[in-house]
Order: sequence, then structure tokens, then C-alpha cells
Amino acid sequence: MFIYFTRRLLYLIPMLLGISFLIYLGLELTPGDILSYLLPPEAIADMKPEELAAMREALGLNDPFIIRYIYWLGGILQGDFGYSLASGVPISQLVLERVPATLELSVAALLFSTFLGVILGSISALRRGSLLDNSLTIFGMIGVSIPEFIFGLSALVIFALQLEWLPVGKRLMPGYDSYWDHMPHLVMPAMVLGLIMTAGVMRYTRSSMLDSLNKEFIRTARSKGIPEWRINFIHGLRVALIPVVVLIGFRLPMLIGGTVIIEQVFQWPGIGNLFVNAVRGQNYPLVMMISFLSVTAVLFASFLIDLLTALLDPRIKLE
Amino acid sequence: MTRRPTRLDKKFDILRERTERGTLKAASSNRALNKLASNKLAVLGLAFVTIMILASVFAPLVTQYDPQKVDLRMMLKPPSADHILGTDKIGRDVFARIIYGGRISILVGLGSALGAALIGVSIGAYTAYKGGWLDSTFLRISEVVMSFPQIILVLMLVTILGQSLMNLIIIFTLTGWGSLYRLTRAQMLSLREEEYVQALRAFGLNTFTICFKHILPNALGPIMVNITLSTAMFILQEAGLSFLGLGVPLNIPTWGNILNVAQDLRILQNYWWVWLPSAMTISLFVLAINFVGDGLRDTTDPTMQG
Repeated sequence: MFIYFTRRLLYLIPMLLGISFLIYLGLELTPGDILSYLLPPEAIADMKPEELAAMREALGLNDPFIIRYIYWLGGILQGDFGYSLASGVPISQLVLERVPATLELSVAALLFSTFLGVILGSISALRRGSLLDNSLTIFGMIGVSIPEFIFGLSALVIFALQLEWLPVGKRLMPGYDSYWDHMPHLVMPAMVLGLIMTAGVMRYTRSSMLDSLNKEFIRTARSKGIPEWRINFIHGLRVALIPVVVLIGFRLPMLIGGTVIIEQVFQWPGIGNLFVNAVRGQNYPLVMMISFLSVTAVLFASFLIDLLTALLDPRIKLE
Repeated sequence: MTRRPTRLDKKFDILRERTERGTLKAASSNRALNKLASNKLAVLGLAFVTIMILASVFAPLVTQYDPQKVDLRMMLKPPSADHILGTDKIGRDVFARIIYGGRISILVGLGSALGAALIGVSIGAYTAYKGGWLDSTFLRISEVVMSFPQIILVLMLVTILGQSLMNLIIIFTLTGWGSLYRLTRAQMLSLREEEYVQALRAFGLNTFTICFKHILPNALGPIMVNITLSTAMFILQEAGLSFLGLGVPLNIPTWGNILNVAQDLRILQNYWWVWLPSAMTISLFVLAINFVGDGLRDTTDPTMQG
């Protein structure tokens, strides 16, 4: 186990190095002086041209590309992500401010889609071939064909504008402080994002459940006279859930991507919103660093999922 | 005791009779095609896709309106006999915009899928056949590309390359070749061990010929399915990006660009005809393509052969 853990961790390093190299290449090739990204804007404004030139030398900007990359990487490892072009605020600060909102939204959506998907998927499997099963399959197909923002917009029109049950968007309103006050704001984006992801979880649970219901331990359980619901849910579903957990882990990149558009629809102040605004404002450093951070997050998440699977299933070994 | 004739017996009788009369035609040309034709959803999907493609190609015959023509006296008019889907914020005919928009949206979807297929399939087939360091290098590269959340990578490239129709197709191609590469590689790894490949090699044929002319056609089924489903995915992505205002430049009508105005709550609530028809068109078109793709998968996947 320890060997597997180390090898899997070591495998991450070349990936991250490759990705960071590409990101740095992007940073250097995009228009704009790299100095404005490395230094806070006030500092640059106060400097004379000679001082700037000296600064350039001191920061190693005249060094060969590889050396500059290594310096940059060193900075990243110490938490120095540079400065946003638009506001001059350190990127790390901008991102940290937005992380809680995105986490809140994605965790809520993940929980919602997992519960709904697992329940609907197992019902589908138990009632295989029934009208319910077929209509759920069709609904799943329709669900993956509708663009996510249309789904969000329709929800907005129905629940916020027509019925006025839920607020139109945003996360916090002035004067609302407690956690409960902003729950209504979370409901719609989380449900929309969750429902979009449900289709996949449902499909996967269905086939995994069908698979496990055909296994021999189910027959054994049945011959022991255990009640049918216990067989289905305690014996069948538990085994069926292992691959589903893995699937949910692999959907993390989709979750991060999905929040980009949904946050825009509901004006949710998360990372996705920050990212889109950065793209619109041609704020290259911010775009690059958010991309870099999201890939890093995905890679670490998939690393953790691999470990979890290895713990659950002793058959898995690296190659 | 005589057996009661079963349905199969009757079928054989009919066949025998026809053979004797000499009117038996050879079994219909293509089993896969027949199977696809018997899948109602796939046929329905194919019909819808064909109609939409024809309508957008022959757009000037379908509608007399110019999708770009601004008519400020006709702003936000509801559907009527003149404008069957009404007009938008600056008086452009919504129906014409959807029909003409189909040209670009379908072009982006299909073009990107074919581009991704060209890159993914040729790299996948060649490197998997060659194996060795070439194969592992490209496998690594595809892992790097695929570990980015797709929309983040797409938007990052939009920032670097700038916003244009051509750039969007290039960006989709660059970000979307991974899955086709993986698929082709997997197919190739198993096919290259076949005996006929060894025979070809013994004949002294060159790698390119063996790889692309003799092995690749056998892997074409799953690749076609993947291209179909990628087309649907790229159309959805174009719509999403255009909704954000970051896809095809806003002055070109596409299904996504028509929807861009739906960010305005006033339009969203009061002028449904500006955005709803386009939303329905995208969803139905993508659904239709997905039906075709699923139908194709059922016909080409040997485990599904009924």
C-alpha cells in the first residue's frame, strides 16, 4: 500500500511540472510586460526607468527562459502567485476570497446529484424494463442534451421571476448575515448544477446495480431468506456503490467546469465568475493562474480517489 | 406425428418458394444499416438533423429575412404572420437568425469534431502501432490536456488566441482530440496483434499502409460513434461560450449568440420568443444527434448485435 501511495504521488510530479511549464509559457507569450504581473502596480508606478531596468535584472527577467521558469516555480511553491493586472491585488488573495463560494456550490450540487442519482439509478435497476425505467432513461438523455445555462435560465424564469419563491441570484445581500439568510440563494444554482450531473450518476448506478444484483452472493442472501429490500439495499447497493464513488471522483473536473457557466447565470461570486471576468478583461495572469490551480485541484482529487479505490478494492495495483 | 409449423418454418417456406421461382434477392446490402433503420429514435434523430442541416444550408429559400438586418421600428415584436418567431431587441427576425445561426453552430460542431478526429485518430493509430517512447510521450501529452477541466482550457486558449470563428474551431480541436486519441489507441493496440497484420508485415508493406489502410478501417465503427457524440458536445460548448459572450464574435448569428441576450432578466421574463426558440433548437438538435450516436453504437458494437 505504501509503495502504491508513493508511486502514485511520484507520478503526479512530472504531470504538474509539465502543466506548470505550459502555463508559464502562456504567461510569457501573452501580451503585456511580465513585470506588471510580478510586482504590485504601486511599486511600478513609483519607479524610474533605470530602476525598472535594475529591477528587471534583479528579478532575473534577463536570464534564460528556463532559469526564469524555475524562479517562477519557486515563487509558486512559496505561495506567491503574482498580481492581477486589473486590480493589482495579489492573485492568491483574489482566489482565496472566492474559493468558499465555489466550494459551497459544488459540494451542495455533488451531494444532491449523488443522492438523487443513486436513488433513481437503483430504482431503475430494480424495476428494469418498466415504464419508470424507460422514462428515466429518456429523461437522462434529454438532460444531457439541454445546455446547462438554458436549464438555469428556465429555472430562473419559473421559480424566481414567475413564482417568486427564490431570489434571482447573488450569494449574499447586504444586511443578511446568518448562514440561513443565504440558503435560499444557494438552492437554485445547486439544484440546477446537481440535476445536470444526476443523469450520469443515475446511468452509472443503474448498470453497476444490475451487475451486482446478478452476482452469486445475492443468490446466497436470497436463499438464506433475507427480506428482499434488505437484499437490494444492504447487499446489492453497497457493492454497486464502489464504482459509483469512483465515478463521482472523476466528475470533479466537470464540476469545476460546470460551475463556470452556472455561476454566471446566477451571478454567484465564485471562482468561475472570477475566471470569466478575467477572460473578458484579458487579465492574462489571473486566467493562467486560475487554470493552473484548477488543474492542480483536479490532479490531487484524482490522486485521492485512486487511493480511496485502492483501499476499497485490494485488487487494484499500479500497473 | 407432424410438428405444428412454427413461424420460422413459415419463413423458410416463403424463402424456399422464392428461391424456386428465382425471385429471391440477395440479402439487403448492409446489416448495420438495416439495424439502424429499425431504431425509431435514431431514424427520427437523423431526419431532424438532416432537415436542420438542409434548412440552414438553403437558408435564403427558407426565409426572406436577412438575419443581420436591423429594423428599429420592429423591436421586440411578438410572433406574428410576418415574423413567425417575432423580432429581437434591435428588430432582427428571430426565425431567420435561428436558420442562419444553424450554419455556424453546425459548422463549429461538425468542423471541430472532424478536426479532433483527424488529429486524434491519426496520432492514435500511428503511435499505438509504433509503440515505444513515441506512444508513451503522446499518452502523457493527452493526459496533460485531459486533466484540465475542458471549459477552463477552452477559455484560457480563447484569452491567448483571441475571439474568432476560426480560432474557436481550432481551440475545440486542440482541446477535444484526447478522447478520440484514447479510443483509437485502445482499438489499435488490440488490432495490431492480429495475424493479418503480421502477414502484411511479412509482405514488407510499409507502416503507413498497414496502419491506415489495413488496420484503421476495422476500428472505424466506434470512431464514427465518437465523432457523432463529439459534434453534439461541441455544439453545446459553443452555445455555452457564446452565452458568456466569449464564443463566436457576437455579430455573427449562432444559436448560442442568440441566447446571449437572455442574460438580461427583462428579456428573459417578458420576451420569451427572443430566446426560447433558439434554446429549443439547440436542445432538440443535440438530442437528435445523441439519438443517432446511440443508434450507431448499437449497430457497430458487436456485443449489442441482436
